[in-house]
Amino acid sequence: MAKAVKLRGKSSGQSMPGLVVETLVPGYLGVMLRKLPEGVVIVTGTNGKTTTTKMVVEVLRANGKRVLTNSTGSNLTRGIISTVSQQATKTGRLPFDIAVFELDEAYAYQFTNVLKPRYVLALNASRDQLDRFGEVDTVAKLISNTMLTATKGIIVNADDKRLAKAAKAATVPVLYFGVAPKLLQFFPRDDEIVSVGGPEATLQAADIPLAVELLAFDGETAMYRMDEQKLLATLKVTGQHNFQNAAGALALMQALLPDVSADRLVDQIAEVKPAFGRGQAFTLKNSSNLQLNLVKNPASFRQGLASYVQPDTTVMIAINDNLADSRDMSWLWDIDFTSLQKISVALTTGTRAADMALRLSYDDLKAQSIEPDIEKALTAFCSLPGDKVVFASYTAMLRLHSLLTKGAGKTL
Amino acid sequence: MTKLHILHLYPNEMNTYGDRGNLLTLQKRAQWHGLEPVIHYYHLGDALPKQVDIVLGGGGQDSAQADIQADILRIGDELHQLVDAGVPMLMVCGTYQLFGNRFVTHDGQEIKGIGIFDVETIGGSKRLIGNAAVETEDFGTLYGFENHSGRTMPAKGQKRLGTVTRGNGNNGEDKTEGARTNNAIGTYLHGPLLPNNPKLADSLLILALRYRKTGVELALIDDSLADQTRQGAYTRKY
Repeated sequence: MAKAVKLRGKSSGQSMPGLVVETLVPGYLGVMLRKLPEGVVIVTGTNGKTTTTKMVVEVLRANGKRVLTNSTGSNLTRGIISTVSQQATKTGRLPFDIAVFELDEAYAYQFTNVLKPRYVLALNASRDQLDRFGEVDTVAKLISNTMLTATKGIIVNADDKRLAKAAKAATVPVLYFGVAPKLLQFFPRDDEIVSVGGPEATLQAADIPLAVELLAFDGETAMYRMDEQKLLATLKVTGQHNFQNAAGALALMQALLPDVSADRLVDQIAEVKPAFGRGQAFTLKNSSNLQLNLVKNPASFRQGLASYVQPDTTVMIAINDNLADSRDMSWLWDIDFTSLQKISVALTTGTRAADMALRLSYDDLKAQSIEPDIEKALTAFCSLPGDKVVFASYTAMLRLHSLLTKGAGKTL
Repeated sequence: MTKLHILHLYPNEMNTYGDRGNLLTLQKRAQWHGLEPVIHYYHLGDALPKQVDIVLGGGGQDSAQADIQADILRIGDELHQLVDAGVPMLMVCGTYQLFGNRFVTHDGQEIKGIGIFDVETIGGSKRLIGNAAVETEDFGTLYGFENHSGRTMPAKGQKRLGTVTRGNGNNGEDKTEGARTNNAIGTYLHGPLLPNNPKLADSLLILALRYRKTGVELALIDDSLADQTRQGAYTRKY
């Protein structure tokens, strides 16, 4: 059977072969994935999936595991079928030990009907594109349902109250990761992002024993507590939110690689580089640096502002309103941009460049220029002196990434 | 400087669709017009502040709506008195529904409202989502984004906010959108609504000053950015 659907192709648009296979052989995916000796791991949550999956995959590989993953960012079923069908040998075997899939909150639970994952790593549930995913309670429910299908273990963020509560119903072992109480202010939960005082707004540390705890961070260096040891890691990935994501990845690694020491895992995770468009750095022709950051929702934009904006950075914000970005611009109003008042927002771009500039004006910020055409905006932005940061919604990020790799800049 | 007291209802529960943007817009525009805005956040169990000149309420999740229902019934009479006295209000989505007579959820549960608007809402199975435009008599064309499963039916004598020219409005059937009782407005439009519709924002401020029986000459504000977003909304094909 697998022979019949062995497809080859260099196309990076992964969905088409998947569609063909799905139509030809229903059930193909489950049959193939069940052959993996160490099963399937799902990484899900609103923010941090891509970078965390990259961490997990690279650490597993560094320890000799053969890992199947959906690394093209195609995280729909068809993308995964394409990945599987392209990787299968001529005799229909999958030459891998384990699969690690990044699945979005809406799709992950559907995937568990194909195959029950051994482990699920649940990162967070936050208000996301409301016109696509629904309200945060709905999102949390989807992630929780996925989590509870795990057959060997659940790894969950102890500081996400909705997910941590749902994990109590688990019948398999649960490993919690979290941050030290004094760090909670840097990792606001959904309800705190928009709250304005009152009883719900108080930050409370989760009263749960943690497998991995982020104790402190400074610059790119983080201190973790694992196995009663304090371990330091200087991460190559950027952004303070990734210190928290790395704690989740480390907890999952402890479950998957019980024979590898904690300090070795921390050293290996430190080597992982930023994922596609997630804090990725480019060197421009005028030898200044440009950092490209995906922002998808209030939580990720807020973390991006807190992590990447320095007093001397120049900022461009690129907002599109394609389906994958969110048609609705409401989310821009749940972000506090006042931290940008100290620096200059050179440009807004994308189909919603004017909406972004309007949003900034209500935080007393003036976008120096509004240029809806992303290519023109990038050219103008790149010609400016000094280090630059771009915050971009999903399809704007894809476009900018393509322009930057094609010639506007080169990857570091 | 004339103080203007803005009351934001249930900010921690009813805040789903960028509702903070409506408050920020009123606050900033009040300042730009030379007024001194004072923000009051109303939380569950609080008493209403002594002076209230404008009231805002936002959209919420189903769970949040259930959480605030008992509390809003408790302060319903006071809110009625404010409406009768002419205080302008903007109630969006979930709070709009609770300002109606009742909300019957998709599974048949009845949530009683405070009846400021003579409307009732029935939960639908399919959400009505997308860019919307509404023609109004008093505030011109309003551009916003709607995302609701409730179908709201205005009673015969109930004044509507306007007529839908794009999108679904109250119920996706009769082309009506929102409701207006005295100076209280209920609507499904978020986006949020006020930044993209500065005329409506300033109308709320003017009505508040009228209620306070005080006059202030409004400043001329540069709304060219809102003109651009409105032009975008006008030409957008989706």
